[in-house]
Amino acid sequence: MLLAASAGEDVFRAILQGTPPGAVFALIALGFVLTYKTSGVFNLAFGAQAYISAAMFFTARVEWGWGIVPSVVLSVFLLAPLLGLVLERLIFRHLRTASAVSKLVVTIGLSVALPNLFDLVVGFQPVAGRTPVGIVADGADVFYDPFGTYAFSRNELMSIGVAVVGMALLAALFRFSAIGLAMRAVVESPRMTELNGIRADRISAFAWALSSVFAGLAGVLIAPRFNTLVAPDFFNLVVVAIAAAAIGRLVSLPRALAGGLGLGIFIALFDTFLPRWSDDLTWLQPFQDNLTPSMPFVVLFGVLVLWPSIRRARDAGDPLAGVDPPPPSLVAASRSARLTLATRLFGVAFLGVAGFVLFVRGDAVWLFLVTQAVVLATIYLSITVLTGFAGQISLCQGSFAAIGAFTVYQLANRYDASVLVATLAGGAIAAGVGALLSLPVRRLGGIWVAIATLAFAFFFDAVMVKFSWVGGGTLFQGTRVPRPTLGPWDFADDKAFLVLALVVFVLVSLAVIQIREGTIGRTLRALRGSELAAESIGISPARARLAAFSISAFIAGIGGGMLAMHQENVNYGNNFAPFAALFWLVLVVSLGARTVEGAAQAGAAFSLFDAVILRGALFGWILRSPERIPGIFPISPKWRFVLFGLSCIQFARHPEGLVEHGKRRAMLRAETRLARKRPPASPPDPVAEAPVRTEEPVG
Amino acid sequence: MFTRHSTAVPARRWLALLTVLLLVAAACGNSGDDKADASHDTKGPTAEATGGGDKDKFVSLSGVPGVTDKEIAYTVIGTRTNNPLGTCILDCYRDGIEAYFAFRNSEGGIYGRKLVVGAELDDELTQNQVRALEVTAGDDAFGVFNATLIANGWADLDEAGIPTYTWGIHANEAANRQNIFSSLAISCATCTGRGVPYAAKLVGAKKVASLGYGVSENSKICASTVGKSLEMYKSETGASAAYVNDELDYGLPNGIGPEVTAMKKAGVDFISTCLDLNGMKTLAQELDRQGMQDVTLYHPNTYNQGFVKEAGKIFEGDIVSVAFRPFEADAGDSGLADYLKWMKETGSELTEHAMVGWINAELAYQGLLAAGPEFDREKVLAATNAMKSFSAGGLITPIDWTRQHIPPTQDDRSNGYTQECVVWLRVVNGAFEPVAPKDKPWLCWPNDTLDWSEPVPTSFK
Repeated sequence: MLLAASAGEDVFRAILQGTPPGAVFALIALGFVLTYKTSGVFNLAFGAQAYISAAMFFTARVEWGWGIVPSVVLSVFLLAPLLGLVLERLIFRHLRTASAVSKLVVTIGLSVALPNLFDLVVGFQPVAGRTPVGIVADGADVFYDPFGTYAFSRNELMSIGVAVVGMALLAALFRFSAIGLAMRAVVESPRMTELNGIRADRISAFAWALSSVFAGLAGVLIAPRFNTLVAPDFFNLVVVAIAAAAIGRLVSLPRALAGGLGLGIFIALFDTFLPRWSDDLTWLQPFQDNLTPSMPFVVLFGVLVLWPSIRRARDAGDPLAGVDPPPPSLVAASRSARLTLATRLFGVAFLGVAGFVLFVRGDAVWLFLVTQAVVLATIYLSITVLTGFAGQISLCQGSFAAIGAFTVYQLANRYDASVLVATLAGGAIAAGVGALLSLPVRRLGGIWVAIATLAFAFFFDAVMVKFSWVGGGTLFQGTRVPRPTLGPWDFADDKAFLVLALVVFVLVSLAVIQIREGTIGRTLRALRGSELAAESIGISPARARLAAFSISAFIAGIGGGMLAMHQENVNYGNNFAPFAALFWLVLVVSLGARTVEGAAQAGAAFSLFDAVILRGALFGWILRSPERIPGIFPISPKWRFVLFGLSCIQFARHPEGLVEHGKRRAMLRAETRLARKRPPASPPDPVAEAPVRTEEPVG
Repeated sequence: MFTRHSTAVPARRWLALLTVLLLVAAACGNSGDDKADASHDTKGPTAEATGGGDKDKFVSLSGVPGVTDKEIAYTVIGTRTNNPLGTCILDCYRDGIEAYFAFRNSEGGIYGRKLVVGAELDDELTQNQVRALEVTAGDDAFGVFNATLIANGWADLDEAGIPTYTWGIHANEAANRQNIFSSLAISCATCTGRGVPYAAKLVGAKKVASLGYGVSENSKICASTVGKSLEMYKSETGASAAYVNDELDYGLPNGIGPEVTAMKKAGVDFISTCLDLNGMKTLAQELDRQGMQDVTLYHPNTYNQGFVKEAGKIFEGDIVSVAFRPFEADAGDSGLADYLKWMKETGSELTEHAMVGWINAELAYQGLLAAGPEFDREKVLAATNAMKSFSAGGLITPIDWTRQHIPPTQDDRSNGYTQECVVWLRVVNGAFEPVAPKDKPWLCWPNDTLDWSEPVPTSFK
């Protein structure tokens, strides 16, 4: 009896303990659902918007000494809606007819760019010990214990209250008000709405401002949870909250609220009652110890995979949601033979000169950076296959690469295996994991694949890396990895390793080009165009997806192993953590996800942009002396995230990427000039006058 | 291939590919396989120390990186941008180095040259290796001061034979590297100690909890080692480990409510932590909420007067550990007086990281002094590695650099400190007060035995 009473008390306490974090999840889930309902955008930048308001409130309240009311007005009721309006006017208004995947990629770019842009503009940076304050006085210090079991702080009570009231108000807005109906109508069909005399642009702008206010409110309310304000914490919370929003199928506000609260309570119950299996089975310890923090990701993955209605949700409202218009053919396939030859000759000459200069005069830094660029380009080819060819957005490429890197470390460290052989093994294991991952997500489409892979990346980060046989380093050695030898060649030398990295990159590139031109590539393109249509001609989407994930993971695994060898250490946190790897996708899709060239340029941009542009090396080279570099250098490295994050916006308008888009424009200009120079009497040139093909070559 | 009636790829192709791969695999190996011990393969100094000399004697030197007739330049690498902890690292660390250089330059510098910070490099959290390579490639710094959250460039600096002075939080990266000199000697993270058990005894605790982050190897090992230490000495101290959790989620994003409830149920009355100062605040707030405000916390990383003061009463009575002679101790004839004076002279704030910078700079100076006026990197390294009792003028527990690059083990402490020492402060009315007498702020145990004994208040010169 006593035991039962104690257990009951434990359950009640766990419910109370889980309510405050649950309310936080609910707040974000509500905002997420609000954005989705009113704009049709799966807004992964919600966390970034929340962060900006939280940081603005903190700055006004703590740094400038403003009162609570003006700080809230500035951060939540002025800055937040302004940000929403700017995003709508400059970006999302033009993307109304873009695919959901394109919009998702844009929001990923924004989630990287916006916090950095804010930090640069306002000069904000986290300061240890200067804890974010809430919007009620003494919010973290005054407690209320209504049940005599667990006390709530004022901040927490405020969050719970706002979540409940906010849900009620938003539900009423959608159910009873004309503007609520209009907002939903604009998402469904802007043109039809306009035919009814409703200004779709204005409604859309209002919807963005409203959802941004909610993001700002959520940010200000949840900020006191953190002792320092950093953007990745907000992004992580959004990933957790997506699980709650998914429970509401992204459209039900009450369910999102219930999902958020339920998730918080479930985690607290889990924490309280999880049996200590690991007392007897020590190998289970990392799994058990990290199960709690990874629970939201497990729930998210489970909801996506096991809940049929989510799988159907992708088609709701838009019969063409699963249909992507075929992207324009590659420039290389449509330009004249003469121009192609000239371009290639220029490319070879440029690379030859650059390579010569690097090998003859390059110092350790440039060798390191260029090698890193080559290795990263190899990894990015995995995105080329999966996103560029198959149209699937994977946010766990960092995990695949990490599997390759850890395999190299473990095999070399435990079994003294050759790191080159271990790299192949790492690629194979990553391919296996990719294949396994593709099975549960095989019926998901579009954005849901992205979210499921994001959940996997966080799960891998929270649990798998902690296993000694995965990410466990040795004391005083860490995860050090040796350089390889191959017969008489020792790649300990940086130049020799650069050659090896180039060889691997070329081999993988050739394989990728083969894939693109072969059956697999055509199959993946068909899948990208329309899954249903592909199925109707006998293509199995599940098998195609399995192949795409396996090949992509294999390439990422190989690249991860190479990166570990290059840096002579796995450096997981530096290289492969989920938020860091998110930037990879942003870079590749911005520059070009369909070509080897795009991957190569993304690798170069990641590795060299900071040194060449932001640190002023280019100016130094132009001015012939590092001493003459203007005083504005080095420019903050945050600009790299801002520029490439914002360039992601181009993905929706030019899905082929900036590189390919630029090449196309250059080709048109060049061919126009060539046409002008031809004597008018000459017979028509079939190549020059041939219209640019706008579809992939068939057959 | 992906149609429902797929076509098999010819088996011969696969066989050919496999054969090629096997042939390549047979020729593969790892660089450095023939080296006897990878952990000792770094280039150690070979030059003999010249035994020091007149610090004002000028000798013109050529070909020594970073050295001109007027100055000896060092590069400072630190983390400023993207520091997730929000702590002042690079700027504060540099403050300490520059204050020390100002102090020595006011005496005329060394060998007729001024000590200067030639370049400052922000490693932006993830660029430590690139910054280290910039130093090795630039070849315009005599040595490097490095205080970064990630230390993956130290190996490059060590292998380039550059004297590198660092803070003491990266034992893995510093261990077995003869050219890396931390502000603390390489510690044995898995070795039991008498510090925390004595702290528990000091406050009369019986049931102790030990907490650490799972994501950080240092924090995780620290928490589990404290648990072992408590068990080892429980008969002498009367305090045992009642709750050990070395898998907390970094930053405690979901709070720490259930863990505190578990500690409350276990009757915990003292909590030793291996957390950062932000995590300590979250923990203290949760203890406060659950009515455990009387539980004493043991802080390893909270020596920050502003932070403690701003936190109000939640840290009252707690014990804060610090790695050097604290500002609140008597300076006596130690280097603390010079530190306090020159930090004031240069208008810098007294911080933990500034003190680390000062200690590092003192070792750099002493290395130069011991190397003599015809110094170069090798001679300075050799001279520094010959120092048997470096205490930075009584600011730290003495380090024997002839042997303390190599980590000690639980069973063999011959490479450890001569004494096991701690410096503790208590939070009283929001301010720090030394636990030991102010003139002898260290509490030390002999390190030639693991047996329990009462610590002896100690001071170093």
